[in-house]
Amino acid sequence: MTQIDTAPETQAPATRAVELIDCDVHAQATDAMLAEHMGPSSRRMLERFGRSTPKVTDWYPRARNAGMRVDAWPNKPGHIWGSDPEMLREQLLDEFDVDYAILEVLSGQDCYDHPDLAADRNRAVNEWQLHTWLDFDPRLRATIAVAHEYPELGVAEIERRAEDERFVAVLLPASAAEPLGSPKYWPLYEAATACGRPVVIHTGGYVDHRGAGYPSFYLEYHVANGLVMQSQLAGMVAGGLFEAVPGLRVVLTESGLAWAAALRWSLDAAWEVMGQDHPRLRRRPSEYIDEHVWFTTQPIEEPADPQHLVAAIRQARLEHRLLFATDYPHWDFDSPAQALPRAIGPELRHAVRCGNALDLYGLPRERAIVNGG
Amino acid sequence: MPAFTMQPNAVDCDVHVAPASVQDLFPYLSDYWRQYVTEAGVRLTDMAHAYPPAVTGPLPHSFAELAERYLEPAQPQVAVLNCVTGFETHRNPYFSAAVASAVNDWLREEFLGHDDRLRASLAVSAVSPDDAVAEIQRVGEDPRFLQVLLPARSDLPWGHKNNHAMFAAARERSLHVGLHAWGRPGKAPTPSGFTTTYLEDYVGNQPIAQAQLLSFVAEGVFERVPDLRVMLIENGFAWLPPLLWRFDKDWKGVWREVPWVTEPPSEYVRRHFAMTTAPAHIPDDPAAVDQLLEMLGGAGMLAYASDHPHEHGAGIQPLLAQLSDADRDAVLRGNAAELYGLSAPQAA
Repeated sequence: MTQIDTAPETQAPATRAVELIDCDVHAQATDAMLAEHMGPSSRRMLERFGRSTPKVTDWYPRARNAGMRVDAWPNKPGHIWGSDPEMLREQLLDEFDVDYAILEVLSGQDCYDHPDLAADRNRAVNEWQLHTWLDFDPRLRATIAVAHEYPELGVAEIERRAEDERFVAVLLPASAAEPLGSPKYWPLYEAATACGRPVVIHTGGYVDHRGAGYPSFYLEYHVANGLVMQSQLAGMVAGGLFEAVPGLRVVLTESGLAWAAALRWSLDAAWEVMGQDHPRLRRRPSEYIDEHVWFTTQPIEEPADPQHLVAAIRQARLEHRLLFATDYPHWDFDSPAQALPRAIGPELRHAVRCGNALDLYGLPRERAIVNGG
Repeated sequence: MPAFTMQPNAVDCDVHVAPASVQDLFPYLSDYWRQYVTEAGVRLTDMAHAYPPAVTGPLPHSFAELAERYLEPAQPQVAVLNCVTGFETHRNPYFSAAVASAVNDWLREEFLGHDDRLRASLAVSAVSPDDAVAEIQRVGEDPRFLQVLLPARSDLPWGHKNNHAMFAAARERSLHVGLHAWGRPGKAPTPSGFTTTYLEDYVGNQPIAQAQLLSFVAEGVFERVPDLRVMLIENGFAWLPPLLWRFDKDWKGVWREVPWVTEPPSEYVRRHFAMTTAPAHIPDDPAAVDQLLEMLGGAGMLAYASDHPHEHGAGIQPLLAQLSDADRDAVLRGNAAELYGLSAPQAA
């Protein structure tokens, strides 16, 4: 019997159209992993003294499982949640057909570090992202970790990474020693903008700013993440940041979105009364928000009537400013399969799941097939 | 000009008065405090950082001024006087308690006895809960006091267990709680840190009031003091629906931390909270106002306030325009009358 070689003419395509971008994914290095990328004096400092910044679970002990999905802990020696690229590939990229996932590594964000250590730690975070993640899977993108309290050091790190297009943004914490609109941080915004990168502002960071005092419970702390961002956005607008850095694009991450309309109304109404007292503001506050501010979806607000969410999106004019995010591997992961309610129709859904992020980050609209998918 | 925000025959939930100087309070202060004030040259700042004199009108310092500038033009049915003189920055708990007592005596002597339409919030020390309890016990029986007045900014959130005895004492005398914008700045006045512009300071009251709301619910205040109501004064209200969407969602995720919160947080909020209408900070677009009202579950939580003599812009006309006659009546009179247990108000 003759073996007839009839390989099909049609070849599997090498690329596929991008349909889902996850704009908030967490990788986390152990200190040992970072140490491999750090200089000897930083490594010694880290090994002898560890970290002095309290963790969220130090403030709010009841956050279970360090705030992570219970299935997010690799059964591999020396690993912690978020340290294993294979697990992320399996649990997120392959399971949900995520076309691009943007990593946000929060472990460099520290207000307590000496500048030498802060710079070295963040450089190490970026090296680790490059070697452990970006080179592992072409669907991954990274944000540039910076020593934000020492902007000149942060600027140097931004410039160091600028040539690698896989670093798609600069990462800042949502709470810092000074409000994020402070001129102290303007060099970071300028450097990011100069190299075409948005600035991702991610929930978390310094927790000592408390207009109402410290809450007792994680429940309050977690809801209040959205309140911190409201206050930051008001300050960024009022302080003239968007006049100072006209091309700046900021992505408010993991802090909710539905509050944006009320903040716009409030800022605009106040500006009507006292606009002349704020000479740096040349336009209505909401116009700066329209032009400069994006929001990620997770943890998406869940009104009893999902139409209210759609109304809130439209009231805040977020149709082209909303970016899908899962927050993998945190406990409050928003599943790509379920998080967006049906009330969000096909056009808006497509924009939120990929279109807006493609536009913002300038990512290719076709991507290579990986792992057969 | 604030006059356009005045609604005749309303129950006005936020009318400001203040002593012209700390010397106005001397009749109600002990020798020790008169000496303290005199020797140190202590002045009241009247929350000057909160209400820059050039931005807002002058505060009524006497009944005559109140009558001329407010009662005559506004013709309220009931006016709730709020004196935030005690919202000072210092942390001396003894001075704070003494000023609160003096303010209450001054309010009774200078205002409440002069016009039977006047009610007031009861001043208490914001840094010494046991002094607050003592003050509630001292003057809280006076039915003209409707609520205990607390500043939105605080060293600890108001729902904290340190304050539960104060709330219980308040309810024993049929008092509720009024949580008014501004207050003592802590290490930083907002959840993002230090403020460098008035605009962010002013708008910053709203996230702070939201954090206070979270605290009352999460700490189980309404389980411990079931019929307590909280009036959020001058903190806006359009932020409420999105906050509750997130609060309910998070509670579903982490309710085990707070098992005494047995219902979705929004249920407690709707039963126990009300919000004054100045500042309104709502859209001009009638359709958007309708949507906002629907998200709020109607107008049942809103209570009219002029906030005399403070200025907030366009006011609540776009809101009133979208309400049915019955709902408008409820916002202008009925909701506050029900909350405070005022005798049946007449419709306009």
